[in-house]
Amino acid sequence: MSAAAGIPAPAVRAVGLCSGWGTGVAALPADACAAAGGRSLVGLGRPAVQGERFRRATRECLWALAAVEAMLEDGRAERAAIAGERTALLFVSAAVYGASNRAFIEGTGGGTHFAYTAPAVVPAEAAIEYRLRGPSVLFIGGAPAALRAIWYAATLLAARACDRALVLGVETFEECADLYARARRRTAPPLVEAAACLWLEPGDGRLVLRSARGRSRGDGARRLGEMLAVGPLAEVALRRHAGYSDPLADPLGLTGAWRGEVTNLIFTKGAG
Amino acid sequence: MSRPERVAVVAAGVTTPIGQDLDAFWSSLLTGASGISSIERFPVADLRVGRGGEIKKLTRIKRWDRVPDCRATRLLVSAADELIAQVPLGPATVEPSRLAVVVGTALGGVEEGERALAGEGPRRRLRGALYDSPGDNLTRWLGARGPALTVSTACASGATALGIGAEMLRQGQADLVVAGGYDILCRFVMRGFDALRSLTRDEVRPFDKRRSGLLLGEAAALVLLARETDAGRAPLGYLLGHASTGDGSHISAPDPEGRGLERAARLALAEAGVGPDDVDFVSAHGTATPLNDRIETAVLKRLLGPRAPSVPVNSIKATMGHTMGAAATLEAIMCLLAGRHGQIPPTRHLEVPDPECDLDYVPGTARAARPRLSLSTSLGFGGCNGALVLESA
Repeated sequence: MSAAAGIPAPAVRAVGLCSGWGTGVAALPADACAAAGGRSLVGLGRPAVQGERFRRATRECLWALAAVEAMLEDGRAERAAIAGERTALLFVSAAVYGASNRAFIEGTGGGTHFAYTAPAVVPAEAAIEYRLRGPSVLFIGGAPAALRAIWYAATLLAARACDRALVLGVETFEECADLYARARRRTAPPLVEAAACLWLEPGDGRLVLRSARGRSRGDGARRLGEMLAVGPLAEVALRRHAGYSDPLADPLGLTGAWRGEVTNLIFTKGAG
Repeated sequence: MSRPERVAVVAAGVTTPIGQDLDAFWSSLLTGASGISSIERFPVADLRVGRGGEIKKLTRIKRWDRVPDCRATRLLVSAADELIAQVPLGPATVEPSRLAVVVGTALGGVEEGERALAGEGPRRRLRGALYDSPGDNLTRWLGARGPALTVSTACASGATALGIGAEMLRQGQADLVVAGGYDILCRFVMRGFDALRSLTRDEVRPFDKRRSGLLLGEAAALVLLARETDAGRAPLGYLLGHASTGDGSHISAPDPEGRGLERAARLALAEAGVGPDDVDFVSAHGTATPLNDRIETAVLKRLLGPRAPSVPVNSIKATMGHTMGAAATLEAIMCLLAGRHGQIPPTRHLEVPDPECDLDYVPGTARAARPRLSLSTSLGFGGCNGALVLESA
């Protein structure tokens, strides 16, 4: 099979974004380092989510819900529009489990907290809340994981295993800030906590995923700060806000790098 | 859409408490050798249950100088060593940029985090705590320069990894894929399951009326996947279909009716282009918790319909414990070996039938049968479900 053939590309119905910079795309800075003002970490805090069911839920779970809610708002859609077996949920993160794992290791999280150490529980809270019961996979890693999730969403849509696919990403860092401070260069762009959700539906054109070993220029991190797996989703949100009709494809495809692997999602219009 | 190209399972490698190569693993499954023992590698005196499927010594590799001091990585490398003994993965076999690695895990490198936070070793050990760190180490050890990916659908991860790996081949993103799952026994996970009261003080008894919980185990299991046209003459079998689904029901317990698992099984069968009537054998998740086994039985009855009582179903978790991220890959390999050798391994410690679990679970001893088409089911935290459809060669 030719790698160039690709698969039918999805279209973006809506994007929700919450980040340490503030609500939505309008709060994103033009230069993350300047906007951070010397901070190495730009946090999100804890969202105000009401309800007894969320009493024990971790901060990262609540941000997952907030991202889905922001996506529904962007798409002017009700919850019923995404509920059910025909919605796939692909979750992406490099480090979202850090806070809960550390809490459990250090004993500040009790036995009941253990379930929350599983990365799968973050999208599970969203799946429970919005009754998402279709195909579901978690991709672990930096930006390429998000691109891989978009590719897999396209694969599921092309195979008609679902009617719509949500790509949900969450990255939180605050609880492990001391550890990141030791591990990262002082000149690196600030870590920016973020959660985003992309609503994909069948679209026009073709999509090809390519990866190679090497380094990426990392333009996205300079603009938005280091959001790891959420970075490409935030980029799509930016393009949508800027008025691009096909924010996955315009003005370029999407690129992400992690652990020496550079991944490109390449879109070709009109061949679908 | 046209039927996707078939994906062959060219070779396999395992590191388990019941054997550190395929022959030992298979023979232990058939004879009922137990991999369960008292845990010795870390303190368990404060836990209700201190037993599990612990690998006492890694015997396959003698020198670890090219491998980080990370147990999860070493289990993976040991399994990969068996794989490359069957199919060398050097440049003569595959262009390194066309060799992909996809691994699934429930825990990643969490023990490295435990050790670093306890002050053991350098602070850089924390980098090893990332969930994709052992997979990255494996990729480097193999010399692979194609896509490297870690997936985590809790204890269904080993199924998801195979499914994603197969899709990468179908779409031409790689020519060979090393895919599988792993997880280790460590204090983190033992404390967690102990606190949840999920561990049994008895034997692990899948589908038995007296079943009272699971025991954990550690393992790594890898397969080499290739498109059928590139697979050579004697593959172990074929991966025909996969699906991973979410329950959207509860963060740790399965959906009470198993609807997500049923959807996964039906989607996997549809991808395989076969129906429930074609299934010769089911490798169940079979953890021996009261809830899991009852739910799985109900799902299989709905799925298989009137044929359900006559389709053999087994669980191999009594033999080595629940190996979490490795479990589904090990069970997939078991399905293919059953077809190759004409034997279905028994469900150990199943002695007292449960009226709510009334299928043919292959109790007692191995069964002479040669399943052509197998269905393997898995469940995990977060409402994760996985299903694989496999065909023996």
